[in-house]
Amino acid sequence: MALLELDGLTRRYGGIVAVDQVSMRVEAGEVRAVIGPNGAGKTTLFHLISGVVKPSEGQVRFADAPLAGLTAHQVCQRGVSRTFQLTALFPEMTARENARLAAQARQKRSWQPYGGGNIFAVAQRLGDAALEQIGLGHVANRPAGLLSHGDQRLLEVAMALAQQPRLLLLDEPTQGLSVEETAQAVETLARLLVDTKMTVLLVEHDMEVVFRLAHKITVLHRGAVIADGAPEAVRGDPEVQRAYLGGLE
Amino acid sequence: MRPFLAMAAILALMPFGLPPYAMTLLTEALILGLTAMSLDLMVGYTRLISFGHAASYGLGAYTSGWLLLHTDFPVLFVVPLAALFAGVVAIGVAWVCTLATGVSFSMLTLAFAQLLYAVAFKWTSVTGGSDGLAGIPRRAGPFGMTILSTKSGFYYFVLACLLGAFLFCRSLVNSPFGAVLRGIRENEAKTLSLGYNIRAYKIAVVALSYGLGGLAGALYAPFAGFANTELLFWLFSGQVLIMVIVGGSGTLVGPVLGAAFFMLAEHWLSSYTEAWALFFGLIFIGFVLFAPEGIFGVFSTRLIRRARPVG
Amino acid sequence: MDFAAFLLTQCVNALSQAALLFFLGVGLTLIFGIMRIVNFAHGSLYMLGAFVGYTLVRLTGNFWIALLIAPVLVGAFGGVFEYAILRRLYRRDGSAFLMVTFGLALMLGDGIRLLWGSEALQVPLPDVFSGVVFLLDEPFPSYRLFLAAAGVIVAVTIWQFLERTRLGLLIRATSQNAEMVHALGVDVRLVRSAVFGIGCALAAVGGVLAAPLVTASLGMAATVIIDAFVIVIIGGMGSFLGSLIGALLVAFVQVFGNYYFPDLALAFMYLIMLLVLVVRPGGLLGKEA
Repeated sequence: MALLELDGLTRRYGGIVAVDQVSMRVEAGEVRAVIGPNGAGKTTLFHLISGVVKPSEGQVRFADAPLAGLTAHQVCQRGVSRTFQLTALFPEMTARENARLAAQARQKRSWQPYGGGNIFAVAQRLGDAALEQIGLGHVANRPAGLLSHGDQRLLEVAMALAQQPRLLLLDEPTQGLSVEETAQAVETLARLLVDTKMTVLLVEHDMEVVFRLAHKITVLHRGAVIADGAPEAVRGDPEVQRAYLGGLE
Repeated sequence: MRPFLAMAAILALMPFGLPPYAMTLLTEALILGLTAMSLDLMVGYTRLISFGHAASYGLGAYTSGWLLLHTDFPVLFVVPLAALFAGVVAIGVAWVCTLATGVSFSMLTLAFAQLLYAVAFKWTSVTGGSDGLAGIPRRAGPFGMTILSTKSGFYYFVLACLLGAFLFCRSLVNSPFGAVLRGIRENEAKTLSLGYNIRAYKIAVVALSYGLGGLAGALYAPFAGFANTELLFWLFSGQVLIMVIVGGSGTLVGPVLGAAFFMLAEHWLSSYTEAWALFFGLIFIGFVLFAPEGIFGVFSTRLIRRARPVG
Repeated sequence: MDFAAFLLTQCVNALSQAALLFFLGVGLTLIFGIMRIVNFAHGSLYMLGAFVGYTLVRLTGNFWIALLIAPVLVGAFGGVFEYAILRRLYRRDGSAFLMVTFGLALMLGDGIRLLWGSEALQVPLPDVFSGVVFLLDEPFPSYRLFLAAAGVIVAVTIWQFLERTRLGLLIRATSQNAEMVHALGVDVRLVRSAVFGIGCALAAVGGVLAAPLVTASLGMAATVIIDAFVIVIIGGMGSFLGSLIGALLVAFVQVFGNYYFPDLALAFMYLIMLLVLVVRPGGLLGKEA
């Protein structure tokens, strides 16, 4: 039984098919990269899995239970944490506070309207640990809005990790990062993923990042899966090459 | 805790120094301060801009006024009862208003206040129509306790409500619940994606905010002896919003200062000119433009340079 | 009166009401579409138009001069306000606009009270439309027919203005991509000031036209601002066509609702607003989801 199963997942917007009969099985502990040209439907796929958008057809099964009908926050509570293409943080809170709020969400009584010393302590511990793992310990007390772009992207990942998810959805984590920042981030992530044996779905444009981190690759083109398998196999697939280079848009 | 105790002590000693006229003004300032503080929960801590807070105030005032006129309950029972009623009604109002976000939310709060205003006008048998309710007694009791009927007695009652509400709000905003409100304020979408049911949080904070606003209104009716449609008018909603912004949103204390400032300005400016509301609108715009953190904000960040509060 | 006549009466009432609401709503939606500003003072500007119109009619004895000049004055006032104050807020978040325009609404309310007093002021109908016209043997105030016609004419004019003129094109382009317009060398700030001024002027037109029917009173702003927002929310913030549809919908609900359930008319409107918000948060034709 795979941790994540997508079955004929489809999403239409009027006449446009953003995601077309996508089926996929992701095993626990696997790092799966989802790649494809711009507009291939990768972010929409994430929206479908995380519950932000409802499918027109097909279903998503997580840990052998359907996610149909769940709202975004409910999907998150099931153990699916994600980051976004456009950095989303709490700019006036410090990095530590950002991470703490993320961890707090998965605590029992996260809504407690009084006291909370205990809840805060546990959440802060988890948050701080995630920041250390990602390598942001040195800026922990800086307001998130004042962090460099690279650190902000990493903070988002740290927040997702602080939630101790079973499935991590990373949407272009290295987007906007410089070459050095990317190299550093990739090394950190590689170590992290091996240490935690985290199941990850990764959308990326940077092929070097993909080949460094992914166990398997799924290629989307115009919303449909055109290739699916080990990195080397996908690399050599002529149809994939055509989709990327052939000028079919 | 210490600044709070100091303030509480100072306010508690007021009846011994001030003349009766000033005591009346101070009591009214405290009631308005409570109203503004209640709105701050929504506006300052959650960025839910409400243009309809008069609804909570008016609801509390009419409820307590009606109960005092038509039943034998003493003020001590009526006030919390009316506040509770306002809070419960607010749950329904909140449920509807939070269907929308941003401007639509604000418009819905205004719409509800206008709806209540229209109802108060038409339902003459209960609300007295455009004349409102008059002759509301500050009924003594229970057990013959007459202290609340006196000017200073009632003042202490109002003070106790304000201080109690302050402690409650402060505990709330420093709790895990409060941390989530802050998340909603800074980035609603992110808070939702972290797994928080933000709709539920919004409904809760609106209900609490309206409940406390209802408490203020419930205190006003026996204080002033009347309740009328002016209390439900959007102008009043706006004035409370101004108190929050000018005083300093997101601080709980700021809005209370804002209310005091507003009352002082009204009292002082109106003796100079008929156009005091005009000037106050100008002052408000000035603050939004140049000092959005309000009086208290200016005081604490620019002059004292305190560290940013955590949590 | 038989059913056909009744229906016609109510329809004329609704259409004339829709015209007034349209003037109100189209300005608001334009301002939002171009500037992302929610102009809380829109109802107060409508009210200002009514009072300025009243004074101009008393000064000149001519309704049409008032109808021409009052909007120009109010529009100019709006432009100045945008230039002096709103311009400083473009970098801030939307709630700042909401609050500043709210401050303006308060100031206008008090200012009007100081200049014109607290009494409702009666503006006489223009002579040429003060009579009745007979349709289906029923008398119709010709002023209402005029309003309905005026609404249509102005709607078409604005539509053509947006489609065919250079400024109209700039306005539409700015609402879609202000940066692009800026990159093309156009001073977007002028476009914004112009739009705000035009929006205010349109509101004032509504006010002047409404004055003979409802009298110029201080309570106008509060009721009318909600009407305006309901229209724009239903039709979609930033959509010209939406403001037209919204105005028609609200006017018909108000007129027919008022006839059958006079006490519930207010509630009906909010009910519709709620329904639309629930079903389509962006309004029927809106740009924001």
